[in-house]
Amino acid sequence: MYQAIVFLPLLGFLIAGCFGRFIGARASEVVTTALLMVSAALSWVAFFQVGFGTGATRIQLMNWMTSGALSVDWALRIDTLTVVMLVVVNSVSALVHLYSIGYMHEDPARPRFFAYLSLFTFAMLMLVTSDNLVQMFFGWEGVGLASYLLIGFWYQKESANAAAIKAFVVNRVGDFGFALGIFLVFVLTGSVAYDAIFAKVGGLGEATFRFLGHDWHALTLAALLLFMGAMGKSAQFLLHTWLPDAMEGPTPVSALIHAATMVTAGVFMVARLSPVFEMAPTALIVVTAIGATTAFFAATIGLVQNDIKRVIAYSTCSQLGYMFVALGVGAYSAGIFHLFTHAFFKALLFLGAGSVIHAMHHEQDIRNMGGLRKHIPFTAAVMAIGTLALTGFPFTAGYFSKDAIIEAAYASKNPAHSFAFLATVIAAFMTSFYSWRLYFLTFEGKARWGADAHSLHEGVEHAGTAAQGGHGHDAEPASAAPHHHDDHGHHGDGHHAPHESPLVMLIPLGLLAIGAVAAGFAFKEAFIGHSYDAFWKGSLFTGQGNTILHDMHEVPKWVVWSPFVMMALGFALAFYMYIVNTGAPRRLAEANPLLYRFLLNKWYFDELYDFLFVRPAKWLGRFLWKTGDGRIIDGLGPDGISARVVDITNRVVRIQTGFVYHYAFAMLIGVAALVTWYLLRGGAH
Amino acid sequence: MNAPFVMPALGPILPELVLAVGALVLVLIGALRGEKSYGLVNGLAFVVLALAAAALVAQPAGKVLVFGDSFSVDGFARIMKAIALLGSAVALVLSVDYLRRENLTRFEYPILIVLATLGMMMMISANDLIALYLGLELQSLAAYVIAAIHRDNVRSSEAGLKYFVLGALSSGMLLYGSSLVYGFAGTVSFPGIAAALQGQSSLGVILGLVFVSAGLAFKISAVPFHMWTPDVYEGAPTPVAAFFAAAPKVAAMAMTVRIFIVAFPGIVGDWRQIVVFISIASMALGAFAAIGQRNIKRLMAYSSIGHVGFALVGLAAGTAQGVNGVIVYMAIYVVMTLGTFAIILGMRRGDTYVETIDDLAGLSRSQPFMAYAFGAILFSLTGIPPLAGFFAKFYVFAAAIEAKLFALAVIGVVTSVVSAYYYLRIVKIMFFDEPAQSFSPLTPALKTVIAVSTIAIALFWLAPAPLVSAANAAARSLF
Amino acid sequence: MTQTLPNLLNDYLPLGIFIAVSGVIGLALLIAPFAVAFKSPDPEKLSAYECGFNAFDDARMKFDVRFYLVAILFIIFDLEVAFLFPWAVAYGDLGWAGFWSMMVFLGVLTIGFVYEWKKGALEWD
Repeated sequence: MYQAIVFLPLLGFLIAGCFGRFIGARASEVVTTALLMVSAALSWVAFFQVGFGTGATRIQLMNWMTSGALSVDWALRIDTLTVVMLVVVNSVSALVHLYSIGYMHEDPARPRFFAYLSLFTFAMLMLVTSDNLVQMFFGWEGVGLASYLLIGFWYQKESANAAAIKAFVVNRVGDFGFALGIFLVFVLTGSVAYDAIFAKVGGLGEATFRFLGHDWHALTLAALLLFMGAMGKSAQFLLHTWLPDAMEGPTPVSALIHAATMVTAGVFMVARLSPVFEMAPTALIVVTAIGATTAFFAATIGLVQNDIKRVIAYSTCSQLGYMFVALGVGAYSAGIFHLFTHAFFKALLFLGAGSVIHAMHHEQDIRNMGGLRKHIPFTAAVMAIGTLALTGFPFTAGYFSKDAIIEAAYASKNPAHSFAFLATVIAAFMTSFYSWRLYFLTFEGKARWGADAHSLHEGVEHAGTAAQGGHGHDAEPASAAPHHHDDHGHHGDGHHAPHESPLVMLIPLGLLAIGAVAAGFAFKEAFIGHSYDAFWKGSLFTGQGNTILHDMHEVPKWVVWSPFVMMALGFALAFYMYIVNTGAPRRLAEANPLLYRFLLNKWYFDELYDFLFVRPAKWLGRFLWKTGDGRIIDGLGPDGISARVVDITNRVVRIQTGFVYHYAFAMLIGVAALVTWYLLRGGAH
Repeated sequence: MNAPFVMPALGPILPELVLAVGALVLVLIGALRGEKSYGLVNGLAFVVLALAAAALVAQPAGKVLVFGDSFSVDGFARIMKAIALLGSAVALVLSVDYLRRENLTRFEYPILIVLATLGMMMMISANDLIALYLGLELQSLAAYVIAAIHRDNVRSSEAGLKYFVLGALSSGMLLYGSSLVYGFAGTVSFPGIAAALQGQSSLGVILGLVFVSAGLAFKISAVPFHMWTPDVYEGAPTPVAAFFAAAPKVAAMAMTVRIFIVAFPGIVGDWRQIVVFISIASMALGAFAAIGQRNIKRLMAYSSIGHVGFALVGLAAGTAQGVNGVIVYMAIYVVMTLGTFAIILGMRRGDTYVETIDDLAGLSRSQPFMAYAFGAILFSLTGIPPLAGFFAKFYVFAAAIEAKLFALAVIGVVTSVVSAYYYLRIVKIMFFDEPAQSFSPLTPALKTVIAVSTIAIALFWLAPAPLVSAANAAARSLF
Repeated sequence: MTQTLPNLLNDYLPLGIFIAVSGVIGLALLIAPFAVAFKSPDPEKLSAYECGFNAFDDARMKFDVRFYLVAILFIIFDLEVAFLFPWAVAYGDLGWAGFWSMMVFLGVLTIGFVYEWKKGALEWD
């Protein structure tokens, strides 16, 4: 059964990828989607078997490689953590496949799209079922590849290509750390298999690793290196820049890869390696701090973004920060729980956004929307559910998982816990604000689309533009907006009404909405409640002194209430600014132009990185290319040699004059030279 | 004084006798029947060559010395003679259609080939300096005439004349060297020279050896005695160039190997310097000069110079393994060369033969069979595994490395890389350039030669054992 | 020393006589025509004979290749004939093998002769 779960997507990829051209787009869609459905169904079976029964097992597929002391198996490690991930990955993937049939129906390259989707799913399954670090790295890189391919799916668009490369390169930074971490773990424990590592890691508490003349705490170093990989994959602070740009990919991709599954791989990895991290308290402080920073920082940016997908992307980034906070304070199950619920409501939000974009004919700027609830009521409803879940409205999915994290942050003994608590609570406020802002701008108020809408949408969010005297404050949306208008005018002369998406897109939305509402309530007890031990069965490790799961239920009442209050405040503010007094945002932006621009430009991280890394790297690359490679290596190497060869050829050919006496002369010279040689050598020896 | 003049044993020289008598009969037939007898004489020439080959194969194994030890029939001689006979016969096959189209159907042509072949076989078996010279001159004189067979053509005449003048010069050097060797060793017999020197070289012997080497190097067209080669190959009719490039090279190489190995085994250190110098110079010149050529026959001339350099690498080793390498190399070289010239002879539009590389442009589209066969042959000439050319180079380089001639082996590999440039450029022209006017269909004879040589080259790796083990045994018969 | 010198000269006496006699005969033959021969000079007779060419002409004149052909054919057969002399001298010692060797040699030569005859090399026109 587990083999089927893992390999059906691969089969789908091979069919759609290799034969998509022959069997056609429709068949590719049906085959991949059907296989994924089967896989998803089996995943749920596995989830209940393992999570609520006793089915944890290890399935050896083959020996992958053996080299000296390094022996790597290819095996499926099936425990509760794995089946949770299987459910998340396969359910979302199956729904996204289904959704994509509708969303992508106009695209000529559908077989390729579905092949990539299935490939991604397979790689992700490899990652979550991995039995050792190398196998995880394989899946890790596999999802990276699929992500690259899917972000750049519309390769005709230059921005899509740039985004794909950016995602790949930024992830390389993290992967570099991850690979080093694997090496270090191998050095320390002599193995890459989890069981062997976990068995030995307890005895390595005091081990040190000498590097650069300093003795480092080995496990801390290993954990930090591994965490670096997680930071890259999960778009944590400093390595987050690729995620918003990744929205260049088709929206279902954003839902599957950049919200529900791939970006949570870092969270999964830390949870999977919880025994290692538990032994490295310093690393946990870093995890907490980075997570909290991300949660806060991404939320601030989300406040002012205008692209519907970017808002959700920053929200994702922020929520990932929450998960890392949970991991950092030792509440691994809370992190995974949030991962689980987040997958549902964030996928829902993305697919809902996709439905909106679909309805608006690929308009993505929320300043050009408004009043859509009347036209696409179902989408509006599910988006509202997703927003409620995300903001943590009581008894929705996010309420259980997010509040648990905030409580854990408060209860933790981690030195960074107060910062984490503060950051997550403020972020909860901002999450509520930007989520509702998104909802109100999109679905409520007056319609700012259509041919006569130009004057209408002036008032709302173009405040920033106006405030700066028409100087483009935000390069991308500002330049993108007129373009969208062109498209728009093209499409329907402003008289077309936004239309509800087809059923094939609405079904996934509905299912996810159910998940967004019910997932928290249904599984709370299992994940973080009283049946913790029975459910996890030791697949998550907690150290001796780690009583966080107990402590987090003992926090003061005000802590328990704080996220709800924040959520309510955020909603109220958003309601005020975007429904009641729509001039307020503009005035606010005018009053604080510096802050507004700072946030709108994403804390200037892209510019900073461009200055710090991209431009020097490009300069270095150009230097090495033009001077190093072109002039020195090519000049002295291939080009130089081939030029010399031609020179020699020209000279040699000139010897061949065609005069017979020259030829005879050459022969005599040859003999004379040989004779001279022997005479000078002294002849006989 | 009155020692009875014993009738020499004629059995061991039966192949040569067949050729000699056959050639005389053919001359008579041709003379009596006049110019129209080309077809008959040509056919009979094949019969003669076949009979000689049969006689050669029928010879019992083992080593026999006849005519006062001046003629040695051993394993080495037999395998080299077999290769030479094969080369001559195929060259004759290749020439038929060409001669008819160019109105060169003289009955002397096959006779001269037979005579040249006779000379080669004598060269191969020659066991003293006089027999060597006799064989050499018989082969050369026939070759001079064949080169100029197209006597109404300026280039052909020029080729014949140049070949003759320079050949005379080289023969003179060879004779002068032989006289020096004779003067210092007191004998012309190869084993006798070896016994007389007893491993000690004197300056006189060395000088003699230098001059002899010069004469030999001329025959195998090794640098700096190669200058005639491009002009002769280009000027002579194409089948003649094919003939020159194949069989005489084998014979001359065999002769060179025998004289160095049998007559001067004790002073390897001395003559190795000559061989190494000639080898490096040939490999380098063959590689570099060929790059500048547009005429494919000229290019093949430089290519053959380079290949001789590679074969000499094996000789430079001076060991049985090295000689083994030389034999394998020459055998494979002959096959590749004949295949190449069959292709060149296939470059025909109507009755016009073309010779520039650019005429091959886009051949893969107009004549895929020819293009792929030529591609395989060119890759083999470059020495790319698993084609036969790779094994040829492998055996000589391996021998050189065994003999600790590392620098020579490295230079060999480097020049081999350089030579890849011009071989692969032809491949590129055939497969990637815009098609030129296409060629007329191949004649069945050409098709057969191309197919057989290509298959032999491409599938050699499946069964290298027969050739290699035979070459091994042959090489041991010299030591 | 004093004894050997006359002996040496004595050995050369027949040679001296031979030279003297041949000199006398030669002179006699040269002088006799002046005394007895009939004289009728004309320019053709007075000019030096130069193998059928004008004695005084451009050195780079055209020259019939047939002269060379004849000369080469002559030299070949001349040399072959020269080869017969040592064979004839040693004939008694060589036996049948020697006999047949020369017969084969002459046979080859004859075939060559047949060839050149049939090719028309011996005809001037």
